[in-house]
Order: sequence, then structure tokens, then C-alpha cells
Amino acid sequence: MALRKRVWRIIKENKGRYIGIFILIFLGSFYFIAASGVGSSMGKLVTDFTEKNKQEDITFKTNKPLENIAALERESGALIDTYRLHDIKVPNGELRLLSPSTKVNIPAVTSGHGLKKPGDILLDPIFCKVHGLKIGDQLKLNGRTFDIVGTVAMPNYVYILKNVYEQYPPKGFGIGLISNADFKAFPKAATVYSAYMKDRENVKAKAANLNRLLSNKGYSLSEWLNAETNARIAMVRGNIEGAKTMGAPVAAAVYLLCCLILGVMIQRIVKSDGVVIGTLYAQGYRRGELVRHYMAIPVLLSAVSGLVGTLLALPVVGPVIGILTSSYNMPVTGLSFPPLSMVLGVLMPMVLLSLSSYVILRRVLKKSAAELMKGDEQKTKVNFLERKLQLERFKFATKFKLREQIRSIPRLLFLLLGVSAASMLLLLGFTVHNSFQVLMDSTGSDRYFPIETTFKEIQHGAAPKGAEPLNAIRSYLKGNEKAEFYVVGLEPNSIGITMRDSNGNNLPKNQVNITYLLAYRLGLKVGDTINIVSKVDGKSYSLKIDGIVQTYFGQYIYMPLEEFNRMTGNAPGSYLGLLSKNKLDIDENLLTGINDFHNLNEMDDTTTSTLTASVVLITIVASLAGAIIIFLVTSMMIEESRSTISLLKIFGYRGKEVAKLILNSSTPVVFIGFWLGLPLMLAVGNTLYGYLGEQINMVMPMIVNPWYVLISFVLIFAVYEVTKWLCGRKLAKISMSEVLKAGTE
Amino acid sequence: MFLSVSNLTKSYNTGIITHVLKGVNLEMKRGQIGVILGPSGSGKSTLMNIIGGVDSADSGTVEVDGERITGLNDKQLVEYRRESVGFVFQFYNLVPNLTVAENIEVVSNISRNPLQTDEVLSAVGLFNKKNRFPRELSGGEQQRVSIARAIVKNPKLLLCDEPTGALDLETSRGVLSLLQKVNTQFGTTILMITHNSAIAGMAHAVFRMRDGEIAEVRQNSELIQAERIEW
Ligand SMILES: Nc1ncnc2c1ncn2[C@@H]1O[C@H](COP(=O)(O)OP(=O)(O)OP(=O)(O)O)[C@@H](O)[C@H]1O
Ligand SMILES: [Mg+2]
Repeated sequence: MALRKRVWRIIKENKGRYIGIFILIFLGSFYFIAASGVGSSMGKLVTDFTEKNKQEDITFKTNKPLENIAALERESGALIDTYRLHDIKVPNGELRLLSPSTKVNIPAVTSGHGLKKPGDILLDPIFCKVHGLKIGDQLKLNGRTFDIVGTVAMPNYVYILKNVYEQYPPKGFGIGLISNADFKAFPKAATVYSAYMKDRENVKAKAANLNRLLSNKGYSLSEWLNAETNARIAMVRGNIEGAKTMGAPVAAAVYLLCCLILGVMIQRIVKSDGVVIGTLYAQGYRRGELVRHYMAIPVLLSAVSGLVGTLLALPVVGPVIGILTSSYNMPVTGLSFPPLSMVLGVLMPMVLLSLSSYVILRRVLKKSAAELMKGDEQKTKVNFLERKLQLERFKFATKFKLREQIRSIPRLLFLLLGVSAASMLLLLGFTVHNSFQVLMDSTGSDRYFPIETTFKEIQHGAAPKGAEPLNAIRSYLKGNEKAEFYVVGLEPNSIGITMRDSNGNNLPKNQVNITYLLAYRLGLKVGDTINIVSKVDGKSYSLKIDGIVQTYFGQYIYMPLEEFNRMTGNAPGSYLGLLSKNKLDIDENLLTGINDFHNLNEMDDTTTSTLTASVVLITIVASLAGAIIIFLVTSMMIEESRSTISLLKIFGYRGKEVAKLILNSSTPVVFIGFWLGLPLMLAVGNTLYGYLGEQINMVMPMIVNPWYVLISFVLIFAVYEVTKWLCGRKLAKISMSEVLKAGTE
Repeated sequence: MFLSVSNLTKSYNTGIITHVLKGVNLEMKRGQIGVILGPSGSGKSTLMNIIGGVDSADSGTVEVDGERITGLNDKQLVEYRRESVGFVFQFYNLVPNLTVAENIEVVSNISRNPLQTDEVLSAVGLFNKKNRFPRELSGGEQQRVSIARAIVKNPKLLLCDEPTGALDLETSRGVLSLLQKVNTQFGTTILMITHNSAIAGMAHAVFRMRDGEIAEVRQNSELIQAERIEW
């Protein structure tokens, strides 16, 4: 059929444009499939691991060993397991030794074989990698030699944090599994309990029950930690939710952009074919036949690009899972692709694009043959905005450019939203990177006394020389249990922690000061009165905030020590920890730990390089998308203005003047689009990290770095300039004869 | 002579060679109206396009006001068109998304000493429609806008290719008398192509083309007022 050839010719004549749309749809479905594949695969891996290996619901310590665990299990409906834990220094790091459990947190051997003979040890693969160890090597701990027989994943150490309140695992830290018998070599090992609710309904309430039960039996509980607030467990869940929530909306946004532009293009094709269509009508073609005919372009285009995107995304899921799980430790058993997503990946762009094209087609094809043959469709209608705009006071060039832009509102929207989206992506990549950097850099930067020594029991009396006493309770804001923080009592004349306000002035320490990060997370400001609840005993206190400490490190509320002791019912002079410049000489048996804030929380190399690689990838994708969007709009604009361009040339406009009028007309739109991207980025970024924050008690404010904004700006405009230059060649090709011969064909 | 064309030739090679202009000679004085008549395909538009600097000849010369157009390169031709020539087309060729006033500014924007937009609009009788868009005007009105656009830069030479080709008698008369008015009021030299020999009466010089040559030249001593033209 002649008409079919016509469609092919239209596609061939506008190759660039259709390739551009192809890539956009491709990116959309690729991203959608990859994100949903990653989300569901991760989800499956995590659920498989947590269910099969009975990941704990609660972990806790007690002041004395639990007696008659079997009876407790019956009463609480929980599986209760005991394991031992001992941290031991190794060169360039630290190893946490754990004993295997059989009921809760069942270890999964991921390579090699399980513990068989005395002296066998299983290590986590990240530790092995960092320390250059492999199966068959030996490891000396406390003078004893262990044989590395395999690698292990522990359900309660999916994210291998030393302390749950840290954001990143310390460098060189890892876990190792040795038999209970071998633990005899480590008499100082702690005993830890974990519990798993057999009935999976209402786990939270049952956990609270268990807490009450144990307290009633006279146990004093410490380090009571629910799985959902335990970053070792919850971190990975946050990532899954992140992948799932970001998958669909981003893809949908891309598809909608494509709908907009493809709609405009179909409309143009059909309009310029108006006379042909009218003639075909007159010759007895049915409307349906014509609709089917012109729909071939969007259907074909979206089906092919959706399919290609889906197919190419499938092999990407595996490596991405590999990267994501590289900071986690869990067995990677297999991938899972939700069939619905697969189908949607192909069908969604097709349905959306075909539908939007259909709506536009219908509008044109509703007209009668006679109307169409008159050729009115080809004449440019003047839209509402063009008519309403009062431009008389502007320079001609300004008027011309403005009119060029508002000539097609969908096209304008596409450019604006497209550039915003590309800029947002670019800024998001840079800002996340920057925020991580700032958070890392500010870690411990406020500690003049970097060493924090924490006791097991409350201490009384004077602090040792060179040390400052502090007391603290882990707590949360009433009504927001997931946001945990410490309330810290400090001497009013303390020099151990530097506190400055946003102007760089020292904050008085005889008042209640909150760290910026925590204030930001809880939405608090100076003068607010808050109710906090102790995580230890559930008592609640009211505090009025007097100052905000300008630091991106830590979630703390500082208050004077004596006031703290009075408030919490401790004797005057009580303290739980010491701050000092150098390590103190105190019997380690009395301590729960020593933290060096100047050597803490270093992100490991894989995380950093993954982050950098993602930023590079995002930059490339954003620039590509930006280039395509600008190219599509510019080439359409040139196409629609062919006769105007030809006319300008006849009238004696110089090549550069024509280029300026036509090509530069998008500059303000690109400019505005870019700056719209900034708040958009902040909104998306904060939503994304707000989500993560809820899961793992972490705050990640989007910290905008002006330099990165400048780089993004330059990048977007560089892309714009290059695209303009490419389109400029098209412009040069338009000849004067287009007008001179007009009407003769 | 203000305009002198001598021995102008032009041929196209589309497999077979077509000689479109076979040595055209033509002269016009400053301030005159010239009309080119001739059957379709005789080379009228080709000749005018070369004179207007939008097409090139194979051989021969065109001189306008002492400047040799045929020797100019593309860049110089741009400057020539920009400074010296006004164009009026059969199908108006207004920019559809610009208002009437803006369409005129398209040209005044790049002219050294343009007339006031309002002044030319009043001259063509469309001052009260200056904020309309082209599709909101009749054909005759659109052609008036296109004339206003051509004269706003006060060109030395105004080239009109069948300016009334798409208009009825009454409207054509209006457009023609406007051109006549431009000629007398601004002293603009006008060269106009038409199929309609009735129009020849308003021209100082009439060139009849046939098959790529000027077959006949006639000078009119008495000019007919455009309003009185009948056909
Ligand atoms: N680009 C071209 N390639 C080949 N031949 C051409 C080209 N342009 C014009 N011609 C031929 O040159 C001849 C003269 O064309 P031109 O447009 O000058 O005629 P015209 O006298 O203006 O006719 P009309 O009255 O129909 O406008 C025609 O035979 C035409 O076919
Ligand atoms: Mg012609």
C-alpha cells in the first residue's frame, strides 16, 4: 500500500528524531526493568535468607544468664538462642568472633565448608577481601591459629556494622564464626541472646511481651534491639524499598515525556498529511484504516524500544545485585523477575504512547473529507498564549524567540520538563556524592577529645585526670520511635566537644543544644520544647532546646551533666563515659567500649567506588537524556520554521543572525529548566533518604555544593551548545528556494 | 541606468539541459515601474531571482545602482539583499506566528535606516490591524502587509513576483495602487512579474518574455492609474 511506504518515508526523513525518542523510551523501560528486577531480586534474596535462616526479631543482653530457656520459649512463643561474641584486634582491623547458633540467626556457609574440627573458622567475604585472606589460609588470634575453611553470612550481620548506631562499618572490621568449643580460648566473650517469633503475626507486640516477661522474672535487659531499628538488618531493606519506590515513577516520568513529544510529532505528521488523508477519505478509505495506519509509528517505536530496553535490562540485574550486595553479606542464590513488571516494561510505553497518539489522531480524523482537503489543517493556528501575550515593548529578537517557543505548548513543556529532569538527575548524583563526602568529613570533627570511653556501670566521683565525664541515655522523640538519638550530659565547662552555632560562635554549654542533623531530622528549632522517651526504661522527659550545633555529625542532644543526672534520677556526679584526648588507662573489663572519633566510620573502598561509579553513570545518562531532549525540540523547531528560516535568508539575514533567532530561543527555557531541577532534586533526594533514614536511623540531608551546581550548570549548557551546533548545520541547509518555490508544487 | 541586465544566461541540468535564460538584456531607470509579462515557464521568476540576488547566473551581468550583482559572492549577496532589495511574493509568505507589526519588524530589525513600522502600516492602510495574526487577515490585506514589510527598509529596488496572482480584481487593484503609491511617495524602483497584460498599463517599461528571452520592450509615456485597470 502506498500509504505504508509513506509512513516509512516519514520515519526515514526524520531519523534523528525517532532515534532520539527510541533512546528515551529505551532508557525508561531499561531503568524500569532494571530497578524492579533489582528490587524484587534483592527482596527475594533478603526474604529467603531471613526466613530460611530465622533472622532474629530481637537481640538483647542480660545482667545474668537466662535460666530455663525452654520454659521461656513456651511462655513467649519465641525461639530464643544464645551466642557468644568477642571482638579481637587484628592487624589493620578488628574481627568480631561469633559462635554458631542453631535456632535463630542460623549461619549460611557461602563458600568452602562449615565448621568441622577445632580450629576451623568461617569469615565474612568482605573481611577476607580487605585483609587478603582466602580459604585455606591461616589466621592467628590471641596466639591461637585458625584455619579458614569458608565464608559465612549471618542473618543478624547482613550489614556488618560494629556498632548499630554507626552509619558505615569501620575499615577492616568483620565477623568470624568459630565453634563454641573454640570460644573457650576467649573467656572474656560476651553472651548475647536473640529471639525469633514463631508466629509471624504481630511480631512487635510479641517482642514487647517478651521484654515484659523477662523484666518480670528479674532480668535487667540491655542493648534491647528490634530488627527494624537494627541497621545491621534494616539497612538492606531500606535499599530494596528505595529501588522499588524509585523504579516506577522515574520510568513513568520518562514515558510521559515521550508521550508529549511523540504526540506533537504525530500531530504534525497527520496535519501535514491532512490533504492526503482527506483525499483518501474521499476515495473510500475508512477512518479505522487510516487510524491504524498512522498508529503504526508510535506502536512500532514504543514496542521495539520497550522490548529492547527490557531485554537489555535483564542481564544488568545480576551485576547490579552483585554491586549492591557487595556492601552486604548474604548468600546470593538467584535472581527474580516479577512477571508483571516484565510485561509492563514492554506494554507500558506502548499503551501510553499509542493512547496519546490515538487521542491526537482522532481529533484530526474526525473532520470531514471536504474540510481536510481544503488544507486548513496545515495552516498554523495561533494558540491562546500567543494571542494573549503583549510583547510590544520588547526588542524584536526577544519577541521572535518568545513566539518561537510558545508556538507549541506541548513542545515547550517537553523541553522545560525534560531539561529539569536531566538537571535533577545530574544534581542528584553530585549532591548525594557531596553529602556523603561532607558527612564523612565532619565525622568526629567536633571532637577535641576524640576518645570516648564507655563504662558498663554508672561511675561516681571525680573523673580521672585529663578526662571529662559524660552521661547519656539512648532515647527517642515521643511519637517517633524510629528516630533514635542520645541525650548527653556534659560538664558546662567541657572542652571535649566543640559546639558552634551557624554563625561560627561558640554555644554556651550550660544549656540544651541539639546537633543540626538531629534538629533537621526531627524538624526542631530553637525554643521548641520536646518530649523524649528513654529507650532504657521508657521514662519520658521534657526539654527545651536553646541552641543548634552546626555540625553534620551525630544525632545528639547535649545538656549540662548535673541537670541530666537530676532529670534522670542519677546521683550527682554520676557518669557513664569519659572524653579524653588520649587513651585512658582503665581496666577493659569495666568497659563496654572505647571509640576513637578521629578514626571512626570510614567508608570502605567498595562503597566509595560504587558511589563514584554511580555518579559517573548518572552524569552520562543525564547528559545523554538532556542532549536528546534538546535535540528533539530544536530539530522540530527548525522543521516547523523552515519557511520562516528560508524567508529570513531571502531578506538578507546573515547565517549567524538566523541561528541566533532560531537556536537561541531555547536558552531561557533551558536556564529555567535547570534551576527547576534544583528544588526537584532536593525534594526527590530528601524523600529517598528520608525513607532510608527511617529504616536505619540515619540522616542524610541533601547538602548542595555550589561548585557541583556550577559544574552541572556548565554541563547542561555545554550539552545545549553542542546540540545547537549540530542543529545549526541543519539550519544552514535550508535554502531560499523553499519560499521562492512555495505554492508552485 | 539604475538597473541593467546584459546577456544573462542560465541553464539547469536535470539530465537534459534546459536553457532557461538565453541572453537576457533589460534596462530600467531609477524610480520607474517595470513589468515583466510572459507565459508560464518563460523564465520570469528566474530572471527576477537573479536580479534579487537569491539565485546566480551562468554568464552575463546584472548591475543595480552601479553595483555588479553577478560578481558577488554569497556573503556579499546577503549584504546586497539586506541593504537594497525588497521582496513581495505571490503567496505573501508572512510568518504565521508573528503579528502584522512583528512581520514588518522582521525586516526593519536588520535595516540600517528603516521607516517607522506604524508609518508603513498607515501607508498600507492596516494600522488598526497591526496586532492581528496573518491568518486573521484577508488575502489582499496579507499582501498589503507583505508590501509594507518590503518597503519598511526603504529599498532601492522592490521585486514583486505576481503580487496579485492570488487575488481577485477588486483586491488586486488595491494592491497595485498601493505599489503605485509607494513608487511615487518613496521613489522606489519596482520590478513586477505578472501574467496579466492589463497591468502593463501602469508601468513605465514593459518587458515581454518568451522562452528565455526578452521578446519585446515597450515604454509607456502615459501611465494608467491602478484603480482604473480592468480585466
Ligand atoms: N531548480 C530548477 N531545476 C530545473 N529546472 C528549473 C528549476 N527552476 C526552474 N526551472 C525551469 O526553468 C524554467 C523557467 O522557470 P521560471 O520559474 O523562471 O518560469 P516563470 O516564467 O516564472 O513561470 P511561471 O509564470 O509559471 O511562474 C521552467 O521551465 C522551469 O521548469
Ligand atoms: Mg514564476
